[in-house]
Amino acid sequence: MEKKALTSQWKLNLGFSFFILMLIVLLLQVSIQLTLLFAVSLALGFTLQKSRFCFTSAFRDPLLVGYTTLTEALILLLAISIPGFAIVSNVAGILHLPLSLYVTPFGIHTFVGGILFGIGMVMAGGCASGILMRIGEGFAMQMIAFAGLMIGAILGKYSLPYWRANFGEAPGIFLPDIIGWLPAVVLQLLILFFLWKVTRWWKRKLNGVG
Amino acid sequence: MRNKVQIIYKGPWAYWVGAVVLAILNMIVLIVREMPWGITTNIEAWSVWLGSNMGLLHDEGITFKQLMLSDGTYLNMGVILGAFWGTLAASQARFRHMKNRKFVISALIGGLLMGYGARIASGCNIGLVLNGIASSSLSGWLFTIAVFIGVWLGSKILLRFLL
Repeated sequence: MEKKALTSQWKLNLGFSFFILMLIVLLLQVSIQLTLLFAVSLALGFTLQKSRFCFTSAFRDPLLVGYTTLTEALILLLAISIPGFAIVSNVAGILHLPLSLYVTPFGIHTFVGGILFGIGMVMAGGCASGILMRIGEGFAMQMIAFAGLMIGAILGKYSLPYWRANFGEAPGIFLPDIIGWLPAVVLQLLILFFLWKVTRWWKRKLNGVG
Repeated sequence: MRNKVQIIYKGPWAYWVGAVVLAILNMIVLIVREMPWGITTNIEAWSVWLGSNMGLLHDEGITFKQLMLSDGTYLNMGVILGAFWGTLAASQARFRHMKNRKFVISALIGGLLMGYGARIASGCNIGLVLNGIASSSLSGWLFTIAVFIGVWLGSKILLRFLL
């Protein structure tokens, strides 16, 4: 990649590390929870950058260039997260700790929003997390995309009531409520396994014998 | 051995390693925050605050202090700073210019569509694809199918107008 003629940036790195440390110390005065979340999200940003993990590529590359490794990694991420969230949620329930999962109502706007989001992330070269990560990497393109994201978010916020009023909205469906925890987890893992098989098949189909 | 240590801070890591680490960190967010990681709700709040301070939007009563005490702010800021730290650790930090003018328009329109889509669907790839599905919610699966269709359409646009 960009190996040639790179001067070491260790001084800058040291300065930046000190700046982060100061931020963390400052934040500790405010709230331990915020400090922990800040630390974890630093790790998230670092991990996204180091592994070049990109949701946009995971969706796009099989279609555009027949490359599926990242898609398979996304399936793996989901396959760990489903049972992981199930365990965390159940343990929290047993210990009577407050914890809410992300079960949102849906309607036509969920679908329309998803399609617009999909078009947008291919055009902008990254989804929301991808944009944040690439701003950190110094890409001018995603800084502009971020401005678009902010304007779009405002427009979206103010038009959501119209979508709800005109097309209705169904309450969120939490699969474990309907079929129970274990069947819900197993069913979703089976769907992921099927998607993984399709991905492998797609790769073989596009790249010849594989 | 030295090479292996170097890979940790220089990268790139294998995708599956990224997936496993992200899964663990995402679960830590769930435990600490008592709700899943999300990105665009906070971006929306900042945008509305900015818009109302510029006099463009009706004041929604969001204050700067509220935003600075919101966990979403630190989650988003952390991702940006963490990624910057990643490039710095590998001595690759620099400003990256755009190669082509038409990408300015593409980025702006793409960002707009994404922001709009995420806010009417109540989530992005993190909030709905990853954490909607991880929460065993039907909305997550529906949104994911729609995103896939959108990406397919977007790839057609990309091939036709941009590449």
